Amino acid sequence: MNRIALLGQPNSGKSTVFNALIGSRQHVGNWPGKTVEKKDGTYSWKGNTYTVTDLPGSYSLSGNSDEEIITEEFIRSGKADLVCVLVDASQLERSMYMLADFAALDFPAVLLLNMMDVAEAQGKTINAELLSRHLGIPVLPFTAADSKGYTELKDLFAAEVSHPHKLGSVPGVSAAGDSAEDIKHEGNAKYIWIREMLEGVSSSRAEHYTLTKADRALLSPVKGKFICIGVVLVAFLAAMIICIPFMSVGSMLPGIMSGPIAGFLNGLHVHPWLVSIFSMILPNTLYFAISMAAFVFGVNTVFGYLEEIGFLARAAYQFDGVLSRLGLQGKAVAPILMGFGCTIGGTSGTRVMDNWGQKMLAMAVVWAVPCGSIWAVMPVISGMFFPVWGTLLVCVGILVYVIILMTIVSKVFGNALAPKDSRSGMIMELPPYHKAHWGHIIKEALYKTWDIFKRALRTVTLISLLFWAFSYSSSGSIESSLLYRIGTAIEPVTRFFGMGWRTFAAFLSSAFAKEAVLGVLNAIFVGQSTLLEATFGAKTTALDASALASVMSSTISQAEALAFIFACTFNIPCVMALSTTYRESHSFKWTARVALFYIGSALILSCIVYHIAVLFLH
Amino acid sequence: MKLSEMKAGTTAMVKSLGADRHFVSRITAIGMSEGASFEVVKNDRKMPVLIYVRETLLALNREDCSRIEAEVQA
Repeated sequence: MNRIALLGQPNSGKSTVFNALIGSRQHVGNWPGKTVEKKDGTYSWKGNTYTVTDLPGSYSLSGNSDEEIITEEFIRSGKADLVCVLVDASQLERSMYMLADFAALDFPAVLLLNMMDVAEAQGKTINAELLSRHLGIPVLPFTAADSKGYTELKDLFAAEVSHPHKLGSVPGVSAAGDSAEDIKHEGNAKYIWIREMLEGVSSSRAEHYTLTKADRALLSPVKGKFICIGVVLVAFLAAMIICIPFMSVGSMLPGIMSGPIAGFLNGLHVHPWLVSIFSMILPNTLYFAISMAAFVFGVNTVFGYLEEIGFLARAAYQFDGVLSRLGLQGKAVAPILMGFGCTIGGTSGTRVMDNWGQKMLAMAVVWAVPCGSIWAVMPVISGMFFPVWGTLLVCVGILVYVIILMTIVSKVFGNALAPKDSRSGMIMELPPYHKAHWGHIIKEALYKTWDIFKRALRTVTLISLLFWAFSYSSSGSIESSLLYRIGTAIEPVTRFFGMGWRTFAAFLSSAFAKEAVLGVLNAIFVGQSTLLEATFGAKTTALDASALASVMSSTISQAEALAFIFACTFNIPCVMALSTTYRESHSFKWTARVALFYIGSALILSCIVYHIAVLFLH
Repeated sequence: MKLSEMKAGTTAMVKSLGADRHFVSRITAIGMSEGASFEVVKNDRKMPVLIYVRETLLALNREDCSRIEAEVQA
């Protein structure tokens, strides 16, 4: 077996190389006993199999974090035959620091000069051959986002696994001291070594930095923030345009599939229960998974583009001050903004965070952001009870509570996830503007989309079955379902929180999918369709909003409606966001904690809103 | 002079990174080391300070910048 490990600083393009080598056959898990993500996989090349391990990204190997300790232990243990070190060719001197750290481990390596396209665009030339002679290991100029270079890379790996080369040692670096002074001395020794290695290798460095015209606008304190918000709004519009075609094809599925499936099963004379399960759950689940995946694809494509061109780093700079008050770094701005489109996308966007604690805290905060579905559904419900200005007030109220809830979340979880003494201010590079590699952006978005699609199918099928069981009614009316019996039995309790059994049932279903809330209300109040169809086929169920409005406004009070709107909005985002959080955090304990917090806080919020609202509304 | 007080356009050399082990380790790994010369690119009130060091544009938290002592160069 030939084992290769990828090592590099964040933004070195490590995961791009990994994805390009391994494709979708990757295995994602945890490093033993740690919450750090471990990714590995295999590929075949010219008759041999190669295992590739993606080592956690960090800026150095000084044992400061779990990520750095894992990396060092992995290399020392000899679990790799070859380490591929990636550096950013456009910032060669700085990014070679990791290589200098790695040299102390005395291990076979190759050096990948990634982002050659950016370096060339900046007018930099790099003599890779000379650098290779200085270092004593092969050096390959590379552009990870361009698929052309991979043949050469795989050939290089094949050659080096059988005839490896090692780096020379870095003078003045020993693993002896660990004080701030020791780190300073060794740091200087490393940079001196890097200068020596780069002697005659790269063209002269520019002494002065001039901000581009775009940066002067984007980085200005006030104007820049407005531009950031404007760009993000346009990005969401673009994301919607991308996902609408997929969604509309998906929405036709239940109509096309239900009849034939039912006909086929009836022909086999199976039990009507099974017919109803398969003809209803299967097409609706498929449709639901497709719309979710389409949404994730849209959001990820657009934000992938914004990241690649360097925009998200600028946004992080703009909002670092605000976010540091929540215990987060500026980098969390991207996942939070993505959350306004789709919580699933926002949650997986927390990958950019520096360490696990920051990542988990960012996910908990992203949950507080109302996603696109909420913004589509809640104003409609509000409009059934309140005049336009009232609905506007509700929306403002929601936005204000987003800020309050984020603050509460950071207070509740911040100390455990990002202890005060470990919090560090922003130390971030602002990458030069890149030209986007669309092929790469779409491929990366498709990986995530496919992953969500698979998991959505599984999760939604399971939840659908559960719903089917609860809402199944032999007579067809909701009063003979299990849901009705349980709901009415616990109504005295839910009343305290401001919700009757109908709104409470809709509240519970909002934890499965926010876009379904309208359909569920329709099923419960008007009773034209089954609850199941309503929940998972929200957009296929013909919905007469005015009929629903008149039934609802005559059945429940304005105060209850208001409590319900707030409770739904700030409940668990959806089951897929929950599942994504578990997948990204690799921690069942923390995912469950955050989920319980959100259910609890939504109920308390509903209780408070209701009891205040009854004083003013009828 | 503290880095946080330096005007945009100033070229300077790092004198001291302070004594916080964790901070020194992080900032050294990303390109700032004692003796390194750099340029202050942007320094606006309440915003991170932008500096150019080792071919890299870095954004540094304001509070952290007040821990960094630097010497202005001609």
